Parts: sequence; C-alpha cells; structure tokens
Amino acid sequence: MTNKNITRRSAVQIIGAGSLIGLAGCSSSSDSPNQSDPYGSSTSTTGGGDGATNGSKSATVALATDLTAGTWGVYGGVMPYYTNILEPLIWVSKDMKLEPWLATEWKATGETTWEFTLREDVTFHNGKPLTAEAVVFSFHQLLDEWSWAPGWLHVEKDGVKALDKTTVEFTTTDPFPTFPGTIAHNMVAIQHPDRDRKAGEVIGTGPFQVETVKKEQFVQTTAFEDYWNDPPKLSGLKFRVITDANTRALSLSAHETDVAYQPPRNKINSIRKASKTNVETQGSPSAGYLGINLYKSPTDDVKLRKALNYAVNQNAIVESILSGVGKPARGSIAPSIYWSAHDQLPEYGQNKSKAKSLVKSSNYDGEALKLLVSTDMTDGNLLAQAVAQQMEAVGVSIDIQVLEDAAFNDAERNGQGHLALSEKGTNSGAADYVIYESFHSEGDMNERLYGDEGTGLYNLGSKVDSLLKTGFQTGSKEKKKEVYREVQRMIAEKAVIVPLYYSEYVVAAFRDVNNLDLRPIPEMVRWDSLTHTN
Amino acid sequence: MWKFIVRRTATALLVLVGVSILTYALMFFTPGDPATTILRKQMGGRTPSSMAVQQFRVQHGLNDPIPIQYANWVWDILHGNLRQSYYENTPVSAMIMNRVWPTLELAVAAMAVSLAISLPAGVFSAVHKGKMPDYLSQFAALLGVSMPNFWLGYLLIIVFSLELGVLPVSGVGSFERLILPAVTLGTGMAAIVTRLVRSSMLEVLDDEYIRTARAKGLRERIVVYKHALRNALIPVVTIVGLQFGYLLNGAVVVEIVFQRPGLGSLLINAIFARDYPVVQGLVLLIAAIFVLTNFAVDIVYRYIDPRISFEGASA
Repeated sequence: MTNKNITRRSAVQIIGAGSLIGLAGCSSSSDSPNQSDPYGSSTSTTGGGDGATNGSKSATVALATDLTAGTWGVYGGVMPYYTNILEPLIWVSKDMKLEPWLATEWKATGETTWEFTLREDVTFHNGKPLTAEAVVFSFHQLLDEWSWAPGWLHVEKDGVKALDKTTVEFTTTDPFPTFPGTIAHNMVAIQHPDRDRKAGEVIGTGPFQVETVKKEQFVQTTAFEDYWNDPPKLSGLKFRVITDANTRALSLSAHETDVAYQPPRNKINSIRKASKTNVETQGSPSAGYLGINLYKSPTDDVKLRKALNYAVNQNAIVESILSGVGKPARGSIAPSIYWSAHDQLPEYGQNKSKAKSLVKSSNYDGEALKLLVSTDMTDGNLLAQAVAQQMEAVGVSIDIQVLEDAAFNDAERNGQGHLALSEKGTNSGAADYVIYESFHSEGDMNERLYGDEGTGLYNLGSKVDSLLKTGFQTGSKEKKKEVYREVQRMIAEKAVIVPLYYSEYVVAAFRDVNNLDLRPIPEMVRWDSLTHTN
Repeated sequence: MWKFIVRRTATALLVLVGVSILTYALMFFTPGDPATTILRKQMGGRTPSSMAVQQFRVQHGLNDPIPIQYANWVWDILHGNLRQSYYENTPVSAMIMNRVWPTLELAVAAMAVSLAISLPAGVFSAVHKGKMPDYLSQFAALLGVSMPNFWLGYLLIIVFSLELGVLPVSGVGSFERLILPAVTLGTGMAAIVTRLVRSSMLEVLDDEYIRTARAKGLRERIVVYKHALRNALIPVVTIVGLQFGYLLNGAVVVEIVFQRPGLGSLLINAIFARDYPVVQGLVLLIAAIFVLTNFAVDIVYRYIDPRISFEGASA
C-alpha cells in the first residue's frame, strides 16, 4: 500500500462525501419560509393560516400560469391576472357585461373623448385613497412599458388627464367606441405611484394584497381589511403555479391545493365522482373552429367547403374529445358575446350523404387537404384526428400537420394549409377585434395574403369589410349587433369555417370550498366571496 | 499535464464557437418570428400590430444581417454580457443563476440515487452471472430503461403522496420535495449504469490478474471489491460523467411533472417563445458543462488508473 494509493482512494472518497454533504446543504439552504410545512398547503406566513382575521381560513389555488413569468415589471413582477391584487376601472360580469369597478360611470364626451368618474371610497393597500392622479400614473406606466400598448388602447400618453380628484379624461387617437370594453381587462390595472418598482412592490386596491412572491413557485396574498367592497371571507390566498395538468389534478387529490384550474379533460369525471372533490365549468367567450382557406384550390370551391361542414359531427366531438366540456358550435362567435348570431345560424348537422354528393359535384380531385394544428392547443391533435376521420368518411382525405405554435401561426397566415384548427376569443370586455382580425381583409389573419379583391385567406371581400368597419366604429349596441350578425350569416353561408365548439373551462375544487365566482374571462375570476369551511 | 490543459482549453473554445454558430443558424432557419411570438405572448394571445413588431425588431437588432447579429452577440459575450431575455426583460445571467441551484440539487440527488442502486446491483449481477439474482437485476434494469420518466413520476406521486400521504406532490424548497423527483430521474439512469457495471465487471473478472489473486487464496470479497471493481469503474466513469451533463439540462420532463424550476424547462420554454438571448446563453452554458464534464472525467480516469497518462488524452 503506497502513499499514492492512499491519496487516490481518499480523493475519490472525498469527492463522494463532498457530494453527499453538498446534497444535504442543497436541501437545507434552499428551503423556503414554508419549510416547516412540507405540504406547502394553506398556510399564510402572517397568521399561521388559520384565523388571521375573524377566524376565517386561507386557501391554495393551483394555476396553469406562472404569475411571476413575463414582462410584468410594471406591476412589480407579478402578473395582474387571477389574484384580485390589482383592479382595473371596469370589470367584466358573469354575462360578459361591463361592470363599474374603480370607475362608477363613464361617458363619451366627444368623438374621441371619454370621461371616467372614480369611486370615492377606495383605499390602496398602503392606506392612501384612490385619486385621478393614480389612474393617470398607472396608464402612463403601461403606455411607457409596452410599445404596443398605445396602438392597442388607441391612447397616447398625453391623452390621459386628471380633470379633478375623481374624474379622468381619455382622448383616443381615433374614434374608438370600444374603448371602455378594451380597458375592462386586468392588464390595465390601477396602482399607487408610491410603489417601489425595483423592489418588486405591488400596491393595488384589490381584496387581497401581496405577502410574499417566490419566483416560478407561488404568490402568497393576505386579505386587505380596508377593501372598498365587502371584505374577503378568507384570510389569504396562495397562488401556486403547476404547469402540468396531471400534477395539478394530483395536487388537488392530495389536498395540497384547494382549487385547481383546468385539470386534464380525461380526469374531469373522476374528480367529479370523487367524494371530496368537485368541478365547476364556466363558458368562456371563445370558440374552436377550422378556418378554411378561401383562395387555395380545392377549398376555393364553396361546394367542397359546405361538404366539409356536413361531414362534421360537433356533438360527437364535444362529447368524446372534450369530455362534454364545451357546447357544439354553429359559428365562430360564442353566444356569451351579445352580438353573436348563434341562434340565427343554420345548424349544419352531420349529413353524410349530402356531404358525399357535394364532394362529387365539387372540383375536388382526391388530393389530401392540409390541416394545420398547433402543439399549444389543448387536445388539438385529438380534435384534428376526429375531424379528419369524419371528413375521410365522406371521401375527402386529410393530411394533419402538427406544428409548434410559432411555426403554426406563420404557416396559417401564409396560407400553407387548406384548413387550420384554432380557438379564438376575447380576453377583455370588448370582443370586436375577434371578428375583425379573422375576417376583415386587413385583419391579422388575412393581411399577409391580401392584395386586392379575390385574394387573402378567410376574408370574403369588400362587403364584409365595410360591415365590419361599421360595426367597429358604431357607438350603438343595436347597430353593432345588426351588422356583426349579418357578417356571421355570410360567413356561414359561404362556409368560411367549420365551427366545432364554444369553449368552456373547468375548475376543480375541494368540497369544503364554496362560492367560487368564475367569470367568462378566466383571468377575471373573483375571490372575495370564496369560503373554506374545513 | 500543462500541455494537456492548454490543448483541452483550445479545443473547448472551438467547441463553444462551433456550437454557438450552429445554434444561431438553426434559430434563424426555424419558422416563427421572435418579434411576433414574444409580443403575442405578452399580449395574452392577441396579435401585435405590424408597427409594434417593427419596433421590436429594431429595438433588438433583428433587422441586421445574421452574421452582424452574431458578431454583436459574441462581442457582448466577451464583455461578460449575456443580454436580456426578450420575454422576461431581465438579464439572462440572472435567469440562469436562479435556476442553477434547483437544477444542480436535482442532478446531484438523482446521481446519488442512481449510483446507490447501480453499483451494488451491477456487481452483484456480475458475480452471480447466470443465476437468479443476475436475471432479477437484469429484468429490473430493463424495466427501468423502458419506463418513461413522466409515467414513473406520476406513479410515485400516486403511491407516496395520494395513497400513503408521506411526501408532497410537487414544488421545491425542502428535502421532502426532492425525494420523488430524484428517485424518478435516478432510477432511469440506474438502469443504464447497472448494465454497464455488470458487463464491465464481467470483463474484468475474466482477466488473468483476477485469477492470480484468487489463486493466491484471497477472499472473494477482496478480489471483487478491491481488485476488480476499480478497473471495472473506468468505462462507468465516462458514462456517469456524460449522464451528469444530461441531468443538468435533460431533466425537463421531471421538472415539469414535479413543477421544479430548472435549466431544462427554461430552455424548452425559451425555444418555443423564440427568446433568442435565453436560448443562446443556455446552449453556451450547456456546451460548457459538457466540455468541463469530459475534462473532469479524464482527470478522474487518471486517478483510477495510473496507466492512463495525460499525454495521450484528447478532447
């Protein structure tokens, strides 16, 4: 046994021991404040979970979205969705109506000017009152932050002014009747100018305030006692991100979380049947459909497009692929949007013999139609396969191309497919852009391929364009409804799309959690009334 | 030794340059425009106006010719600047630092699990070749190799979190939360290493010096563990080194199932979001990790087997 040997052996031993010590070090040094609570469940760091206020409890919510990811520096690094920490001037109600929130009323005072009156008894989390100055500050912040914000809101910085303590005037860059609906969105939230952005401070007006933020893990909130509306029933809420749908469902079953957003569709029935858990579904203002390329052979033939519509059985798709979550669709605009023409549109219904004869009389020559689908679409691949099967049953062959999202968006707009499967809807109180971007020649979907009449992707032409423009620019609800419905009828008549389903989303919860107040726009859920008995 | 280090450093630099050029080229030939993709993500799925897209492209120099963009990036890297993420607007270096720890923690723990299983199992299997213990261990290894990580992860969650209620489902921040992901990742690796230890051990046990040792009347345990194992470990070290490199960035599935922040999931998300600076920074880091791991493996060789000299080693 030489010395050399000893050194070599001890070197290996030291490496081994070092890695074990390092491992022990790892697990202790990275411990979160909640380490004493291995289940990380409903404990808030303030009141020890149970009874920080009036004996109420807290709850843990599992989201699919990481609230700490993205460009949210303007809001202290916390996404303003889901949490009720920050609030906009206008909320969106259960039936997709604009709900006065931090603003009690608003009116158009000119073609491009709007006056908003603020609620008077609102206090920020730092104890200071809501003023018009704070609203101006908040708008200036986000107009500075995001280069696309002025174009999206149709407002420049100098177009936001405080008229007095409780009145704010907005001047839009052009006539923009949907302005109130556009800012009815928690991306346009109101915060206090004193908040220290660099320190990641968030000062809002909502029923819950920030306690701790752990990047990529959770946002812990506590109840805000001086909330302007009824104070929240719970002492706090913890929002955990769990991106994997199966893990979200499992964390609920293990009671690590009390509420879990969007469990996998195939687990919904077992969660519903389980004795301790329950599910709630909520319709959302979006629809899943196949867009049909109007200007590429052979789908430029309306007979073939109609045949595709007669081939598809929406009920079967909703029941099987979507596990009954969703409603069979007749158009591209969900009925929760007030100007949807759903009740006036024909229900194609599956009619195989009609579909077959239409295929025969069309100019279809047997080539495979390209059906594009994005990897980001939940169950998109299964939906595409179900649709393809139904179309092949009437003699049309389909070639499914699954692309990752960025590539899919490019391919669709470049007209590389005959059919493209997607789900489209609005995430704010205004939904006009949903129909405009898809069916106007200069909308996002068609602008790349549109040169003049008879070119494009899903745009029918000048008549639809002018109707859409009228709808977009009118301040009259009735007029908007009339022209948008006309457009939807034309889209159905020319079979520009194959409608599949109106979306619904699912939230699973423990049975001791009551009064979930879900909203059509998932991000605009309300937690004030949530109770938790055990 | 010095010559060896200089030569290895030079080849390492070449590897890094090659990898970065390749990644840059691949990203630009992939469909999907970063400006549109990032803005759409920021806007909650809405489509940005062409003006906003143009502004983004100018702001991030995406309109320059690709070689110029690459040169600018290299210039920044040489000045120690990994740039800012398009999507997060935070320095890439900080994003990586935030995730290095949980990733390293998982990699070391998984490695420990895997070696604790594979070394004894492999040796045991080789010593009892052709008997029941050997078949059992080989069957277990086959099972381990064939079992998809995500499936095993869910299975462990169902057993230990739902049925027994002894371990948390997901997250980071305590030793309990490390156990299931480490076992999930470690068992898959253990299966590979077990088979390697077995075959390598069988080879060594046939060598003449082992026969000599036995003829000297040494006890079987001394023969196996003192004489044979050390030589049998040489090929194992290579694989373990490479596997460690994979563990540091290939644990994506486990990171997603157990909701652990890590370099793997960061890279995947950055690729889908077309967040070029993050992809570039991470790929550079990963390449560096592999180069360093190989380097470390060579050094360890030298310790295990004095017959291997630094002179003959190459990159």
